Amino acid sequence: MLKIAIYGKGGIGKSTVTSNLAAAFALRGLRVIQIGCDPKADSTVNLLHGEPLTPVMNFLETHDRDPESVDEIAKKGFGGVLCIETGGPTPGLGCAGRGIVTTFALLESLELFETFRPDVVLYDVLGDVVCGGFAAPIREGYASQVLIVTSGEKMALYAAGNIKRAVDNFADRGYARVRGVILNRRMVENEEEKVRAFAEANDLPVVADIPRSNDIIRFEDMGKTVVEGDPALPVSKAFLALADLLVREGLPEKSKE
Amino acid sequence: MKALSTVISIHSSDTAGVCSALYELGGMTVVHDASGCNSTYATHDEPRWYEGNGMVYISALTEAEAIMGDDDAFVTRVVRAAEDLGTCRFIAICGSPMPMMVGTDFDALAKIIAERTSLPVIPLHTNGMRSYLAGMAESFTALAERFCREDVQKCPGTVNVLGATPLDFSVNGQVESICSWLREEGFRVRSCWAMGSSLDELSLAAGAEVDLVISSGALALGAYFERRFGIPFVAGVPVGEKFAAFLAEALREAARSGRSSRPCLDCRRGDPAGPGVIGETVMSASIACALELERALPCRVLDPLEPEFGLRGPGDLSVPDEAAVASVFAGAPAVIGDPLYRPVVPAGTPFIALPHEAFSGRCFRKGMKNLIGRNFAKEFPSC
Repeated sequence: MLKIAIYGKGGIGKSTVTSNLAAAFALRGLRVIQIGCDPKADSTVNLLHGEPLTPVMNFLETHDRDPESVDEIAKKGFGGVLCIETGGPTPGLGCAGRGIVTTFALLESLELFETFRPDVVLYDVLGDVVCGGFAAPIREGYASQVLIVTSGEKMALYAAGNIKRAVDNFADRGYARVRGVILNRRMVENEEEKVRAFAEANDLPVVADIPRSNDIIRFEDMGKTVVEGDPALPVSKAFLALADLLVREGLPEKSKE
Repeated sequence: MKALSTVISIHSSDTAGVCSALYELGGMTVVHDASGCNSTYATHDEPRWYEGNGMVYISALTEAEAIMGDDDAFVTRVVRAAEDLGTCRFIAICGSPMPMMVGTDFDALAKIIAERTSLPVIPLHTNGMRSYLAGMAESFTALAERFCREDVQKCPGTVNVLGATPLDFSVNGQVESICSWLREEGFRVRSCWAMGSSLDELSLAAGAEVDLVISSGALALGAYFERRFGIPFVAGVPVGEKFAAFLAEALREAARSGRSSRPCLDCRRGDPAGPGVIGETVMSASIACALELERALPCRVLDPLEPEFGLRGPGDLSVPDEAAVASVFAGAPAVIGDPLYRPVVPAGTPFIALPHEAFSGRCFRKGMKNLIGRNFAKEFPSC
């Protein structure tokens, strides 16, 4: 099973990258789960064509009981991708990190992986690793590799560096390791050079180069990922190429299929 | 406001279950909690604290450490304490509400502490929100996974006693009486989890022919031994001569057939309109068996703990909170239970007090009864 956590600065396009990657894996015939770990609960919206999904924490708050099955907190989206959102508190209140820990414990008790038997699990995680809860997706048993999304913007690269250091700090805990950097282009001058310099300085490969594309926005307005909307577009091909790379490395038997 | 207790007590927490289960085994148990909480786990709930050395520690977690996620402070204190002790066989680390709220990763911390001390470190996932049964169940199973050896020869006629802690049996000789009764019945006690046996003795548990589960906090361990070593388990406490005889026969049958059984459920018809026996279900169901067999008084067992741990016979009932307890007591012809239930027993309803350490702590320790075997006839009051 391929288990990947996607991190990056707020607003850098993590949810767009994650849901397009999920769609790309699904187009390759893989069983995929995407878990949005953001209180905004909007990670999977473009896989679900705008259909509402009850986030786990909202379910717990409303029903005052644990869900009896995964069906109560998950929905299948494009390509059969199983979509789950942790959800979380109103901004400024409660503890969003705790919401992630609670959700993961619950998914474990519901035996999500044993019953759905995914080939790929994607965790789309809020911004920086701000507290223990936001590191939960990279704990042992969850994601085994981290992909950092960044553009050539100074603050995005700064956040990427922080994330790399945070993950490295957990090395003695048996947590996930950073697999590489995804360049999500923002039309910054010398963008590729800047990101490649960052990657080299941190001894990381750039595993994907996602071009700036209005097609992403066009299909998101229709409640879709661009990979679903038109897999033949260059931007879709970039996501499909990344999916193929990760499958070749992590699921070689699926790659042959 | 579900599960609110306004009058009656609550059961000891999962953390107390961990501390009690591991108390005698030569390991250091560290509860990640604020300083001053030690007395809750180690004295109010632990009669052995007064008799000898114990190795239950509190990490002295501070507000700043919790907010800043300063796990290093915890690791450093645990490592230093282990070095100071010098002789501990293992380290168990477990949580309380504060680490639960900040999402402390005990599995990862156990890995780090094990590397720094070269000792086996057992992470236990308590949060202070569940009952002692959860802590017992997790501790016993984790201990068995870590320490029980495979290369042990089966010894015919031997029994492991599973689920002995003062939280259920106090220190009034009940556990010793259970072991004596087993010897009288021709069995040898291989190990007792976990009163009166050393860690080395527990590590040889795979050699037993059958397990006797005396608390629902050890049903998970019984199931684990059945899965891993093929040892069948028999659930029941030998309360009263007649039920004890039934239980002894069930042990012999399990040894012969290799099949597990629950005599404390199978040996009685029960009666939903009969007196209510409230408490931990293996002991309560065994008392109900004795009452039915020796006094022709069929009862209903009322389970106030988490339903997933308990056993349920026909007519038995889960009473998860004070409102449910009061409602069932209102229709019961008599109630048998811990004295701290008395305030919700209607005036005029006969009440027989059987103190339970996990519910009333040390408040009624002097009144704890030993009901094993023939003691039942003289110790248990007439209803």
